[in-house]
Amino acid sequence: MPDAERRSGSDVRAQLDQLLEDDPADLYENAPCGYLSTLPDGRIVKVNRTFCAWTGRTPEQLLHTRLRDVLSVGGQVFHDTHLAPLLRMQGAVREVALDVVRVDGSLLPCLVNAVELRDDTGAPLMVRATLFEATARRRYERDILAAHRAAEESEARSRTLQQVVSELARATTVSDVATVVVEQARGALRARGAALWLVTDRAAGEADRPSLVVARSDGLPDGLLAELATAAEGRVALELAEGLRTLVLGDRLTAQRPRLAAAMADAGLHSLVVVPVSAASRALGVLVLALGEARAGDLIDLDQPVPGELSARDVDLLWTLGRQAGQALERAQLHEETARQGERSAFLLDAARLLAGAAGVEEMVERLAGLAVSGLADVCMIDLVTEHGVRRVGARHADPARQHLVDELREWAPPARDLPYPARQALNLRRTQWFPVIAPDWLESAVRDPRELAAVQGLELASIVAVPLVAEGQALGVVTLSADRRRGGFTAADVDVAEQLAAQLSLVMAKAQRYEFESRTSHTLQANLLPPPPPEVPGIAVAVRYLAATRGVEVGGDFYDVAPLPGGQVAIAVGDVVGHDITAAATMGQLRSVYRSLLVESPAPSAVIDRLQASWPLLGLQRLATALFATLDLTSGRLRIASAGHPPPLLLTGGRAEYLPVRPSPMLGAPPAPAQEWTGVLPPGATLVLFTDGLVESRADDIDAGLARLRASAVRTATSDPDELCDRLLSDLAGSHRADDIALLALTRAR
Amino acid sequence: MVVCTRNDVRVSGVPDGRPMVFAHGYGCDQNMWRFVVSDFEVDHRVVTFDHVGFGQSDLSAYDPVKYNSLRGYAADVVEMLRELELTDVVFVGHSVSAMIGVLAYLEAPERFGVLVMVGPSARYVDDGDYAGGFSREQIRELLDSLDANQLGWSAAMAPAIMGNPDRPELAAELTNSFCRTSPDVARQFARVSFLSDNRADLPRVQVPTLVLQCSQDVIAPESAGRYVHEHVLGSAFTQLAATGHCPNLSAPEETAAAIRAFLQ
Repeated sequence: MPDAERRSGSDVRAQLDQLLEDDPADLYENAPCGYLSTLPDGRIVKVNRTFCAWTGRTPEQLLHTRLRDVLSVGGQVFHDTHLAPLLRMQGAVREVALDVVRVDGSLLPCLVNAVELRDDTGAPLMVRATLFEATARRRYERDILAAHRAAEESEARSRTLQQVVSELARATTVSDVATVVVEQARGALRARGAALWLVTDRAAGEADRPSLVVARSDGLPDGLLAELATAAEGRVALELAEGLRTLVLGDRLTAQRPRLAAAMADAGLHSLVVVPVSAASRALGVLVLALGEARAGDLIDLDQPVPGELSARDVDLLWTLGRQAGQALERAQLHEETARQGERSAFLLDAARLLAGAAGVEEMVERLAGLAVSGLADVCMIDLVTEHGVRRVGARHADPARQHLVDELREWAPPARDLPYPARQALNLRRTQWFPVIAPDWLESAVRDPRELAAVQGLELASIVAVPLVAEGQALGVVTLSADRRRGGFTAADVDVAEQLAAQLSLVMAKAQRYEFESRTSHTLQANLLPPPPPEVPGIAVAVRYLAATRGVEVGGDFYDVAPLPGGQVAIAVGDVVGHDITAAATMGQLRSVYRSLLVESPAPSAVIDRLQASWPLLGLQRLATALFATLDLTSGRLRIASAGHPPPLLLTGGRAEYLPVRPSPMLGAPPAPAQEWTGVLPPGATLVLFTDGLVESRADDIDAGLARLRASAVRTATSDPDELCDRLLSDLAGSHRADDIALLALTRAR
Repeated sequence: MVVCTRNDVRVSGVPDGRPMVFAHGYGCDQNMWRFVVSDFEVDHRVVTFDHVGFGQSDLSAYDPVKYNSLRGYAADVVEMLRELELTDVVFVGHSVSAMIGVLAYLEAPERFGVLVMVGPSARYVDDGDYAGGFSREQIRELLDSLDANQLGWSAAMAPAIMGNPDRPELAAELTNSFCRTSPDVARQFARVSFLSDNRADLPRVQVPTLVLQCSQDVIAPESAGRYVHEHVLGSAFTQLAATGHCPNLSAPEETAAAIRAFLQ
């Protein structure tokens, strides 16, 4: 070791000795840590310069104040609950972290070590404390803590979002989506309650205004829900949903919406958060969260000190939730719509089949009502316009156990009363009336008396569609479909189906009604055209029957006639105008009138035919006809018969039956040839049977077979009562499906 | 004796004396009562215990759901009184244990003879006209700062610290031993203590009650003590000269004398 260095080393040692011999008071005052001594009650009795410099206070300012009084709030509490007790219990504390408040208000983080000096009895005399500055260390600790907390919060948030996303992915129905959104949002914000409102296309009573309907609610009292519904009705919620808004219970809300404010106060809520639920900027609905003060037993919530102020994190979370919910809703709606579309197509196909197969309008309507409640709706009412006013023809409930509810409503339906409001509107305006949501107060205003209201309420209606039946500009009736709360509201697509159904029904009905109208007209006409019951003629018994065809228009060109003539004669006729429609009936009427007018001169049967043939072109008759004309002398029984293309009459006598060989001349209206006459005698007790070809014709075999069957039947009957005979012949020969009309006349000469 | 192990229940004094149960409050453990109980051991049956999560209690019995409310702690007290078959109990609750006593009394009033509340507060957070002594911000800062002090705690030492009453020398080696607990328990107990609101429970108390109010107590200021006194019908209010929040340590004689005066 060089000398120079050795010498230098001894200089340093001398300097060091010098410093070490300095006044210990200086060491105390200027030590690199704070020193202070306090009395047992905490009052500072000695403090070093270092601590004074750190805190910006003079010794005079610090002496006789307590250490606790220069600590932060947290430090004060910790001092009193931990540091002071520990000193008493174990005499010393080490590394306690406290924040000292500097004179300028800033904090000086310190680590404190302290010992308690005691007297011989163990009673405390004084506390000595050293304080080390720990700014960097505390900052580091706080950073770690803050990072830890942030990580925890962000983890909680992403856990919530992750759960929402995975649960939404599993949700296939709108109802599933609504449940997930409401429960998760409520949990994430620790809300008292939550509800999801979805936009429906139109509101009850106001055809063009969108409205909101509750898809799911949780933890919200009914009163508040009702008030929110009213607010939604006024589109408040929708307007609010232009952004995420908070509705705070306060003077302004109380002034603007006193009932909503009262409902919030009742429920102990301080604010409502309205979150828009949308997909691709299309507003689908709103999520409403109800926030309130902590309940008794809950811990006071420091995170929401100011009602109406959400943290940025919560706002972010809710926005994301709203968008996720919107996408999931759109997907679920599409999914449900696709499924429903399939059902609707199948339904319309069924309806088309059903309408094609029905025989009459009433049967069709009955069956259609049955079909409607099997898929489309819970209740189907069909009211038809008839010539006697509106009648309720179909009224069905999907659930047979609830059919009585629908039946009870007949008391307030046509013909007893006017149509209920939706149907009445639909019929009057000739436009579909759609009520996607039925509000209780709307229902009260729409019905006419309390008993009707009670009956309607029993149905628990959620939605109504009334579609008019219109064809060729004429209102034929109205179909009213209702859905109950279990099914939920009708969608626009449901309304489409209802309208398509009504269009189908209208077309078929128009056709059928026209047909029925014609049929009724023909009946009326025919009833007038057909002769009155044959007159009582002494010496003979006469029975007549007329059966219309079962297909086509129920009118025929068949006729019969019995007329007493002067001189003890009676004229008998049976005829058949070709066809069985109105023209045929009209021709028959004319023919009969002309025939009657001919009888004035008591012509022979052949003369009747000749004259009719002669006047046929003059009469302008458009159809051909067959006919059989006869006269009977009541005294002698002499019978004269002439035929214009008509089947021969049957004579029953003495248990035998035979067709009289009357030689037919051409049909009336065909190029004429002179008529020939058969002459014979109708013995007493014998029966003459005149008929039209409807009785003996059949699609299965030819007319000869028919004539043979008629004869056999007449022989079997073996009666001298013409009425009984007619009944038996008809029951044997006229099937339930007749292609042609039948006129039948039986005449028995008295014995 | 499930409860006695779980809560490290210690019984001393005169076996047939009137039972006195001392409950420690927010901060440390049953050692808080060490200077007071000696005064009563001469003529009372003295019971001290640790709330679960503190002192020598069984940490494995700590249930974050149960103890997220003061009711969880109150249930333990009721269980202990039943197990020890104590009646006509003088229940002395310090700090937050004053309210734990109220809840235990409401659960099993037949066991209680007297409630002594040392530095009580029914709610620490100010609320309108009610002065609990702390704003929400202050409570938030307080809860944050408590995280900075995990006294003598480390996960590695936890088994030695807790639930090993057979080897007290292990615990004695550790600094700050009477106030140490696991950070999670400490944080939750602080939240439960400072964020509870028991004002609605006070009017239901119908047992002789003494409110002991310290001077210059930043934790339970006089307004909080007065509130308790005014809302427990017929309660007595004694103002102590002792300062701070822990007269049981800083002024044990005065504290004991005030209780004794009320009992006589």
